[in-house]
Amino acid sequence: MPVSAASPAPAEEAHDLKDPAYLKIRDLIYHISGIYQPDEKLYLLASRCAQRMNTVHAKTPSEYLDHLTVRGNRDAELRMLLNEITIGETYMFRSVPQLDALRSVILPQIMQAKASMGFKRLRFWSAGCSTGEEPYTLAMFLLENQQLLNGWTFDILATDLNDRSLEAAKAGIYGEYALRNTTDALRKKYFTTHDAKRLQASDTLKSLVHFDRVNLSDDSKMTFLKGMDVIFCCNVLIYFDLNSKRKVVQHFHANLLPSGYLFLGHAESLFQVTDIFHLVHFPGTSAYWKPPIGYKGGSKP
Amino acid sequence: MNAESVETLRHKIRSIDSVPSMPVIIRPLLEMLQRPLEKLNVADVVNLISCDKSLAVQCVRMANSPLFPRLNEVENVRSAVVALGLQRVQSIVLGCSLNQIVPADKWVLEMSIFWRHSLGCALVSRKIATLIGYADPEKAYLAGLIHDVGILVNSMVCHEKFRRCLQLASSEKITLVEAEEKCLGFSHVLTGKILAEQWNLPQNLSRVIEYHHAVSDTETEALVCLVRLSDLICRVRDLGYGYYENIAVDLVNEPAWTALEAAYSGLKDMDGARLLLDVEASMDAIIKAVDDVFVTKN
Repeated sequence: MPVSAASPAPAEEAHDLKDPAYLKIRDLIYHISGIYQPDEKLYLLASRCAQRMNTVHAKTPSEYLDHLTVRGNRDAELRMLLNEITIGETYMFRSVPQLDALRSVILPQIMQAKASMGFKRLRFWSAGCSTGEEPYTLAMFLLENQQLLNGWTFDILATDLNDRSLEAAKAGIYGEYALRNTTDALRKKYFTTHDAKRLQASDTLKSLVHFDRVNLSDDSKMTFLKGMDVIFCCNVLIYFDLNSKRKVVQHFHANLLPSGYLFLGHAESLFQVTDIFHLVHFPGTSAYWKPPIGYKGGSKP
Repeated sequence: MNAESVETLRHKIRSIDSVPSMPVIIRPLLEMLQRPLEKLNVADVVNLISCDKSLAVQCVRMANSPLFPRLNEVENVRSAVVALGLQRVQSIVLGCSLNQIVPADKWVLEMSIFWRHSLGCALVSRKIATLIGYADPEKAYLAGLIHDVGILVNSMVCHEKFRRCLQLASSEKITLVEAEEKCLGFSHVLTGKILAEQWNLPQNLSRVIEYHHAVSDTETEALVCLVRLSDLICRVRDLGYGYYENIAVDLVNEPAWTALEAAYSGLKDMDGARLLLDVEASMDAIIKAVDDVFVTKN
């Protein structure tokens, strides 16, 4: 079971989950952003709404629904709510099931296909890397799985639109929250002490990740980023409207080599956005797969 | 497997009927499952369940699980039958009876893991059935619940060897069926089918037990396909057999999906990502129901 995004709401009882407005807000968010909150997790949604309702002085969920749908600043408010929903989403080793899937199925599959063409290099892209937790996790994972790589080399591209996030990512200084899921052994191996409360990514680790500023809506730049094997784009597309999202996903499809994989955030989906990818399920996680040319379907292992 | 060894196996499985832990109500219950619903009445079912006190308690607990949404709390067998309907109650009772058959020291796959998988499959089968407009979602529930009954049979009739199968499966990260074929020469699919015949389970349930790992053509009946898909879904959402399987499931390209799609156009519009998140979110309720109902605390 993946780690839950955040601790349960402090005052679960306080929200009347039977209020149909919550279901409407849930469906609205799913429709707009692709983030889905199952019935059992509605209390989380309710507590995130509560934060925003406080700020905008909405007294009931249905009044807040108005803020999200009919008020003039609805787009801005939706963005604020999405921020609340995805808050705390990034820390090192946030999604272990994704790494397990890479190790058990995805990388062996990709390496087999590429080896037959004489390639011995893997390319990863963390699109929307924020403050760098995701690409550094990937780097540690790959270093720790040398026997799997068996002489192959790799590079990791990490991009974000936000300059400040990128600066922080390059500095590689992390506190307890970001490292909550990182074992002591890995901390010792890949980090040095920065100050009393924080650790700094080692030069080895930093040298493996190439950071760059990329706007995912910038077609000219997107066309340029070719030959990817696996793209991670977690909780980024949620802020795009349907058309821009389609465009970005089309780009990802073109950026990936045949048989490459796209990972999205845990509760994110591309349903009704595109069907050029195949949704593939692994233990504890799902990913979007780009079938090779001429793929006729049929079941995989 | 040759005919002779199947015969030996059949003989061993026959002995299950005389284990001391066999609940007395199982025979009449199995007989009831044969009858069409309109020939059943509430009183018969209530009387039958009331014969076995612990079963009656489990039944009421299960009826109160959030997995079976209803208006009021259920306090006794009669209200459970009324609130849930005969078909659901039959499923619950059959599940609880199957649980009693296996003596505590015979479980190979942990009891709670087995029931989480079975209950998970039951719920997912029912959910997909409802989503696509399959005529009898409760039948899909029952089929999901008992599809792996062969695992119980294996635990009892080839206990040690079956334990080794599970060890092999978890160390090699392969499917249980593969491991069984390697160590035993047959799998829970065969032993389950033999038990289904012995118990005269309805034909369609028997076929689910026999074919849920072998859907290869598009002619396969819907019930088998439903259980096949939910089995796969549960195994990639922590409701599998308790170990990490190296699997990648592309539902849309499963033969079971293709077969279902031919008969149910609703499948095309099913949101796979959302379904999986729903399954994941119902995990806690499933664990709780299994702990409340199946895991014996004595």
